[in-house]
Amino acid sequence: MKARIEAELPFYFGPGRELFGFYHPAAGMRAAVLLCPPFGVEQIRCHRLYRQLAHGLAEAGFPVLRFDYFGTGDSAGESNAFEWTRCLADVVTAATELRMRHGGGRVLAFGARLGANAALAAAQAARLDGVVAWDVITDGAALVRQYDHMQETLKVDLNRFEYARPELDVSTQWPGFETSDRLRVQLQDLRLLDPGIASAWLASSVPDEPSKLDERYAGKCERVDVSPRWEEVDSLELAILSHPLLDAAKRHLKEMA
Amino acid sequence: MHEQAFRFGGARHLVGVVGLPALIDQGVGVIFLNAGMVYRVGPFRLHVELARRLNALGYPTLRFDLSTIGDSGASGQRLSRPEQVVADVRDAMELLKQQSGCTRFVLFGLCSGAQNAHSTAFADARVAGAFFLDGYGHRTLGQRVRHYLPRLLSLSVWRQRLMRRRAAAAPRPAEPAFVVEPLPPKIVRAQLADMLQRGLKLDFIYSGGVARYFNHIRQFRECFGRLADDPGVSVNYFKQADHTYVLSGDRQQLLEHVAQWMGRHFPITRPGT
Repeated sequence: MKARIEAELPFYFGPGRELFGFYHPAAGMRAAVLLCPPFGVEQIRCHRLYRQLAHGLAEAGFPVLRFDYFGTGDSAGESNAFEWTRCLADVVTAATELRMRHGGGRVLAFGARLGANAALAAAQAARLDGVVAWDVITDGAALVRQYDHMQETLKVDLNRFEYARPELDVSTQWPGFETSDRLRVQLQDLRLLDPGIASAWLASSVPDEPSKLDERYAGKCERVDVSPRWEEVDSLELAILSHPLLDAAKRHLKEMA
Repeated sequence: MHEQAFRFGGARHLVGVVGLPALIDQGVGVIFLNAGMVYRVGPFRLHVELARRLNALGYPTLRFDLSTIGDSGASGQRLSRPEQVVADVRDAMELLKQQSGCTRFVLFGLCSGAQNAHSTAFADARVAGAFFLDGYGHRTLGQRVRHYLPRLLSLSVWRQRLMRRRAAAAPRPAEPAFVVEPLPPKIVRAQLADMLQRGLKLDFIYSGGVARYFNHIRQFRECFGRLADDPGVSVNYFKQADHTYVLSGDRQQLLEHVAQWMGRHFPITRPGT
């Protein structure tokens, strides 16, 4: 176990070495797995969960790459530089990096929230062979409304602040981060399209408005006993940990491999 | 700006990112400690933004995860948690020294990070300064009066409490917590006095998010007495901010403050500038 953790490598990669990645090698020759993180505060809340998933998959023989998109986590770029087109390009760059380190072969992906959308949208360009999606965003406009609402709620939250600041203009921010008009427009138009590749759908026990799956996917979707409370401002600093989710994600990825 | 990721430490159990300025003057390096269980990027990426700002000003930085937090593993050593924290920060200082040449360090810690910065600053002579954000302090009579009196008289507070009570459909589940027992005030005071005697520069920053135990800049004197007069001490109260600086404007104000404080106490002295 100790030797395996020592072999895990943090590094920068991609053009200009702008992207931060964490490679978890595995002894097996099974498919490799790319973990696509969610965005903003959700990325920080899911960090531990992604690490646990990477460890579990590596133990099961899957090499894994975790990474941060440009403008997020340890990657280069200011937070308001995160935008959808670059995000999809980063998925392709990361898949290429994983293939290079793994030595080729099948590459699967797991993504939570917008991370799932990114994996699905970039699947063809990144040559992904399958995607496991958790609480994928099905209605981008609802997500924009949710972030805006959370931001307006935040500034008058007396559990957080000593006094409310209703007059403060926070229209360029989503919980915890500066954002851009470009990203807002891109997310407004975001819809869930048929990925055309192997896919599995996981949903939290009580899905929020932006991640409600319609009838096309509802039948294929597996409910998992996890309550991330994506929409609650009280949960911004709470890490999401869930063994049922880890088990379900690993099971689906193993089935796809 | 140049950033490089490392696995380091006695057991190669720690993970961190070193940021180097274009020119290094081998003065002080700044090390960021975890804020609670938040991994090394800090709450809402505070540590990333601040590290890069300091790199641009000429300071080398390291943001890293302590043992068993974020991406770091266990050391395998049989140490108490406070001992392990000091050992981890010593490993971090060694890495930043190897990468930048600097031999003195300023620690930046929020919440439990402030407690950990305090313990290391007390234990290791290489620490030249520290930012303690929402760190040690204790409730005083003045704090209680300032906290409770306005609430008793405020209509909006009562209204919000009633609304919350009505809206509460189900009790919130227990939240995961990571709590290190704080040191008793008497010991904190004695250790701070020792640090100041050794010439450390200490910046105490409190936010409006911890009004439950600190709610006025004057309270520092109520807590720590004459230490407030020491030239090595500065105290700041960001009343409008919350504990984790969730709003971008509050975070920028903090960044600005840290940059100015560093320039005042640890100026960059490149030849010819």
